[in-house]
Amino acid sequence: MKVSYENNAIKSGGFDFGVISINDPWNSERIAYYDGIIIDGVNDDFVRNLVVRIRSHHRSEVYLKPIFLLKNVSIKDPIINELIDGVVFSLDQVEFVVERTKDISLKVKEILEVKSLSFEAEMINKTINLLVTRDKKQMQAFPYIRSGIGYFYPELSINFAREDESNVLKILEMGEDDGLFTSSFNDRLYLCTNCNGGFLNYREVCPQCSSSHSTTEDMVHHFPCAYIGPMKDFQNTIDDELNCPKCNKTLRHIGVDYDKPSELHTCQKCNHKYQDYHVRAKCISCHHDNYIENLIPKEIKNYTLTRKGRSVAYNGYVSTTRDFDEVPGTVKYDVFKIMLKYEIERLRQNDYTSNIGFMHLANAGEIYSRLGLERQKSLIAEMIGILRHNLRSADFIAFYDASTLVLSLNEIPTKIANKILNDIASLTISLMKRNFKTVEVQIKTNAIKLTTEISHELQLQNLVRTIDRTPQNIEKDSEENE
Amino acid sequence: MIEAISIEIDNFLNYISEVGISKLFRIFWFFFMFELFRYLIVDMLALIMIKIKRVFTKKYRDEARRRFLQEQPLISILVPGKNEGKHIFKLANSLREQTYQNFELIIVDDGSDDNTEEICRSLKRNGLIDIFIRNEVRGGKASGANTALRLASGKYVVHLDADCSYDMDAIEQIIIPFYEDERVGAVGGNVMVRNYKESLATTLQGFEYSDAISIGRMVSSYLGIYKIISGAFGAFRMDVLRNIKGWDIGPGLDGDITVKYRKLGYRIVFEDRAVCQTSVPNTFRKLAKQRLRWDKSLIRFRLRKHKDVMLPSENFNLLNFLSFAENITYTLILNIKWYVYVFDVFFNFSGMIWVILLMNFFLYTMTNYFKLIFFNFFRERKNAPFSYFIPFAPLMVFYHGYFLRFVRTISYIKEIFFKASYEDAWNPEKTSLKAKEIGI
Repeated sequence: MKVSYENNAIKSGGFDFGVISINDPWNSERIAYYDGIIIDGVNDDFVRNLVVRIRSHHRSEVYLKPIFLLKNVSIKDPIINELIDGVVFSLDQVEFVVERTKDISLKVKEILEVKSLSFEAEMINKTINLLVTRDKKQMQAFPYIRSGIGYFYPELSINFAREDESNVLKILEMGEDDGLFTSSFNDRLYLCTNCNGGFLNYREVCPQCSSSHSTTEDMVHHFPCAYIGPMKDFQNTIDDELNCPKCNKTLRHIGVDYDKPSELHTCQKCNHKYQDYHVRAKCISCHHDNYIENLIPKEIKNYTLTRKGRSVAYNGYVSTTRDFDEVPGTVKYDVFKIMLKYEIERLRQNDYTSNIGFMHLANAGEIYSRLGLERQKSLIAEMIGILRHNLRSADFIAFYDASTLVLSLNEIPTKIANKILNDIASLTISLMKRNFKTVEVQIKTNAIKLTTEISHELQLQNLVRTIDRTPQNIEKDSEENE
Repeated sequence: MIEAISIEIDNFLNYISEVGISKLFRIFWFFFMFELFRYLIVDMLALIMIKIKRVFTKKYRDEARRRFLQEQPLISILVPGKNEGKHIFKLANSLREQTYQNFELIIVDDGSDDNTEEICRSLKRNGLIDIFIRNEVRGGKASGANTALRLASGKYVVHLDADCSYDMDAIEQIIIPFYEDERVGAVGGNVMVRNYKESLATTLQGFEYSDAISIGRMVSSYLGIYKIISGAFGAFRMDVLRNIKGWDIGPGLDGDITVKYRKLGYRIVFEDRAVCQTSVPNTFRKLAKQRLRWDKSLIRFRLRKHKDVMLPSENFNLLNFLSFAENITYTLILNIKWYVYVFDVFFNFSGMIWVILLMNFFLYTMTNYFKLIFFNFFRERKNAPFSYFIPFAPLMVFYHGYFLRFVRTISYIKEIFFKASYEDAWNPEKTSLKAKEIGI
């Protein structure tokens, strides 16, 4: 098999593999361009970061990309092992992964990507796509030090920030309820009541002041005189003998002239003496000190994809019980595309500028997982309300996916269109900050000029590809917004 | 039979009408010399003096109470015990009713083998107990009390029994004497019988507690010879208790610690207004067992451990000597002397034995009635109407004169000759063995 290596890319068996080393620049466009990615695995952290960023990407042409590791020793991180598609020990061996690449690429072509308005549905879709294209039927929970809850489902948890990982369990439960997965018990864990973190430090605390700073002493009972006190009461400065401070007799034999009937803890903070300490669980992530009886119990399960689950990859998964109904003020994406097509036709006959733009929630995973389904709906409704209020009624809006809105901004210069979008984004950030205090919304916007040269589909693809390149909007001064 | 009894009664009545004072004294010398003098005349005079003194010192008492309530010292209430879980909830609840609330309740479970630990831990979680300590291995009442003492941080210590309940001002009343006189080292509370109606045994004990014990302690306290602070309800100065390093092993540890306080020169007083109610043994068998244990401690502690009180030394104290002397005389010596008296009567007046017995019964019964009525004027707090005890006054002759005397005799013999207190199951064997070895 012919192998050629040039410009950090390698060709073999008709496939182009991008080779990414630690200092190489890379972006999602580059990832999407190649048939497979080979990561130079010299640095474990670099490998981890890159794999995580690829697999958590929102575009299927990125997150489904075959990834191989160039490394002469096996990597220890079980999660990375689960998320890569193979290992090559040198670039000469790339031909050995061609078959695997071909197999994955064929499967990727077979899957139907249907955008869902529901974040949960999108996550389920993404996970199942990843499983199906890798011929995996099972998704196992791995105990993992880098996981926020302590257990990691590689294909799903990768999409979540550490502090939001508990939502993985909810999403998997939804998938199970919808018959996409069956489950088997793996383990039980307890989560922080404040942040759902799984890294808890269980320790005995003073029942009076909850301090864990205490000392423990055995109480010694001297039989002849009934003196009770800690061992230090019996020690003297002259020799090693133990003498009773009450009757001055020497302690000789445990069980015969003395015993240790109890153990006593002394709080070093409030000096309270106690036996029945309380157990508290301090969250390492948020430092909240939990009463253990209030901890959130969760069952960790291993999931197996059902036939229905597999069919989701080929037929799409939008109409779940958790999906949204149509959002007022928007049109369906298919309708949007038809209207866009008409607009391009109009442009051919008129001399004016029309644009398409997007408004993308850069931290949608974090926002949705923190808000929950109901508040997620109200956030979207509020965002659409702001857009509708600031756009002309002739401009139409559609959901590209759960985190991206596409808009038409007709008959205005592109520069103005971008300014309008930027202003709306700043206003949205400011309003969201006021209404949803627990989350910080990060919004990206961009508008591009519609041309009559290429198809509406291709122009939409080009627009969406700019998401990764677009910087985030920052909140402007609130007075200015108001 | 009836005819025989009526003849004896006739003889008795004739005898009363014919006998002269000197002959009466010759036959009933024991009654007149000891019983009547000590337990009626001395008591009456002392009670009258107490009453008068209270009238004149009322303002000092009020002032002491005011200072106490102003200072609000922390009181450590210690309750050591084994298998007492069933009583703790009631006890903790009754303490919540106290007029004085600045106290810490410390419960020590001395190796219980029932659900005491669960009950107490639950009560602690619910804030009814301040400190709960469980000793996995039983160490005896003294080690339990000393464990509690170790954890106590109050200015005064109140030692309670778990199966007792307390008047709502009991804690206040038992602490006030410390503010009346700073030489007071410990105060004994007034223990009354809660179940006096339960059986004949409890009724007679109810009579005994309200008469001999309660009034007796008021008098001995007034005379400065009060010698035992009941374990069921006693208050102690914490600094002194820490200085003497708590209680020594029993049985009889409450009497022992009182002697230790006295030896250090502190006044020990009885406070009849600080009332505690307890359940007493409900059968004579159980009562005998209890009294056998109590009476042994007289020999063990007064004649052996603290015999130095009776001997001349640089620490000799007359009141301590009198306290011991009175105790030993009226319990041990007169107990022996009573048998001499019985022998004397049988030997010299054998022909009149029934008449003497009836006369004896008559004298004691009349005394009992007199005391019942007279003492009633001096009791500020009663848990039973004195009228309830009227039918039982004659029976007290047998209770005091024969039952308790007989039990006491057995107890003394067992302790003097066999040191039986060291084998009492009330203490774990390991501690008794060691105490016996070193003779304490």
